[in-house]
Amino acid sequence: MDMSSHAVGDSPVHRLNPLTKLVFAVTVTVSAFAFTMIWWPPLLFCVAIVPMVIVSGTQRKFFPTFLALWVPVALTVCLMQGFFYPGAHRVVAGIGPLELKYEGLVFATQTALRVMVLMGGFFLLLLTTRPGTMMSAMTQRGMSPKTVYVVSAALQIAPALAGRAQGIMHAQQARGLSVTGLRGRVRALVPMAGPLILGALTDVGDRAVAMETRGFGTTRHCTYLTEVPDSTAQRAARAAMELCALTAVVANVLGVLR
Amino acid sequence: MIEFRDFSLTYPTGSRPALQKIDFIVPRGQICAVVGADGAGKSTLAGVISGVVPHMTGGETTGWARIGSRMLAETPASELVGEVALVMQNPFNQLSGARFSLREEIAFGLENLGVDRAEMVRRVEQVMADLRLTALADLSPYEMSGGQQQLLAIGSALVMRPAVMVLDEPTSQLDAVGAGVVFDALETLRTQGVTVILFEHRMERPARCVDRVLVLDEGRIAADGQPDDVLTDPRLADWGVAPLRYTTAARQAVERGLWEADRPLPVTLEAAAEGFDAALKGARTAGGL
Ligand SMILES: Nc1ncnc2c1ncn2[C@@H]1O[C@H](COP(=O)(O)OP(=O)(O)OP(=O)(O)O)[C@@H](O)[C@H]1O
Ligand SMILES: [Mg+2]
Repeated sequence: MDMSSHAVGDSPVHRLNPLTKLVFAVTVTVSAFAFTMIWWPPLLFCVAIVPMVIVSGTQRKFFPTFLALWVPVALTVCLMQGFFYPGAHRVVAGIGPLELKYEGLVFATQTALRVMVLMGGFFLLLLTTRPGTMMSAMTQRGMSPKTVYVVSAALQIAPALAGRAQGIMHAQQARGLSVTGLRGRVRALVPMAGPLILGALTDVGDRAVAMETRGFGTTRHCTYLTEVPDSTAQRAARAAMELCALTAVVANVLGVLR
Repeated sequence: MIEFRDFSLTYPTGSRPALQKIDFIVPRGQICAVVGADGAGKSTLAGVISGVVPHMTGGETTGWARIGSRMLAETPASELVGEVALVMQNPFNQLSGARFSLREEIAFGLENLGVDRAEMVRRVEQVMADLRLTALADLSPYEMSGGQQQLLAIGSALVMRPAVMVLDEPTSQLDAVGAGVVFDALETLRTQGVTVILFEHRMERPARCVDRVLVLDEGRIAADGQPDDVLTDPRLADWGVAPLRYTTAARQAVERGLWEADRPLPVTLEAAAEGFDAALKGARTAGGL
């Protein structure tokens, strides 16, 4: 996923403290999993997530990407559970030796709907939060700068490596390496691995030097360029959501609404 | 002040010293260029001045080197942060890899030093304006061209307000406009008393803003002096350094009698133009043209 293209926009949702959005995502997820009524996760999705998406103005990016991510997951879950749910016996349809069973489908639908809430909540967070702000927020919550560095480097390394791989591939194609067809593509991976890994290793040496000369890891107290917005209202909202999540967990444990 | 005395360095894997008996003093506020062929030891010397070599690379040294009152043998790079800033040859490898926009990347070093936010914002905006990067402020460092990354690396060093700036071929990927912006920024540093050590291949543009040129040849200092003298030295090519275009043009003009014999060879475009102008006027008054 391309992190750098995220969070272009300036809606009230974008301006929230990332932590508020994180607590929101966790709360809706916990609530979705806490109750067994099949209509509960879609209701949550519609009354909690959809309005946030609309306020953030990201619906044209949110919904297509969300569907592209969620539909394959939902279908996979339905097929797996439909065919292989342990202890299911009501056969709905048969395909050769395989039998699609009712109990499996019910369980799969419920799981897929819960996952829909989970993915929706976290995708909204990603889509409306600048990664830099996220990292600042994490540090200000007391996470060590080194841990935060590792997390943010991990978020960046994938696109960076992909870019480099493409560069190496083009260079090798220019020198006559064939990458057409599946076999050609697989074979092309082998010579690419060398430069990619070697390149990454020499970079590490250079990067260590750069980080050292830029003062990374000095014991002094770090400050941050990116200001993380927060307010009493948001702190209150976070406390309220945490309470909701806790209530949902307790209700689940006690077996209320089951 | 930077002082090297009889300083030699051999890398652990090196068969011969990468630097041999280096001797020089750079006073505070001087802009000093170091030129030399590939493998002459430029990056090594840049590393020594910034406390990277041999602390992070290993290697045996003899003689000594110091910055101000600090002996470099006892001062690793981490203790020189804020005092010496290094811009390395490859800008991509200098990215922190953990900042998501150019603005945040420039601020990275200041964040590590714990500079307060208001001051940080001021300095970052200033550097972006000086290097004409303001329009790119929100771009991801990974989405930038090589030249833009090079400017970013320079900005990340400038923002630290060091007493000594070490730049290892900082304009290798920049076009003429970009390189001009960098050299203008270096001239501003001179007025602030910052010492600049510039390692370069192409001297056409920097020739007019540097106070001094050192030539490195196979790890030794082959020449040390004013740009006008060193860069017009007939041995320059033997040291593996290409003479400047203006000097080459004037040298060919001398052979054809189109350059006044007693006029020194030029190292800048302005001096070349002036020389050719004088030669032309001379020829006119002599009735030759
Ligand atoms: N980390 C290292 N370990 C061992 N040898 C090294 C190391 N770095 C450089 N060298 C060797 O030291 C010598 C000088 O290298 P250096 O990189 O300083 O040259 P340079 O003048 O910067 O060249 P270029 O113009 O190509 O950047 C070379 O022979 C090189 O092989
Ligand atoms: Mg070099």
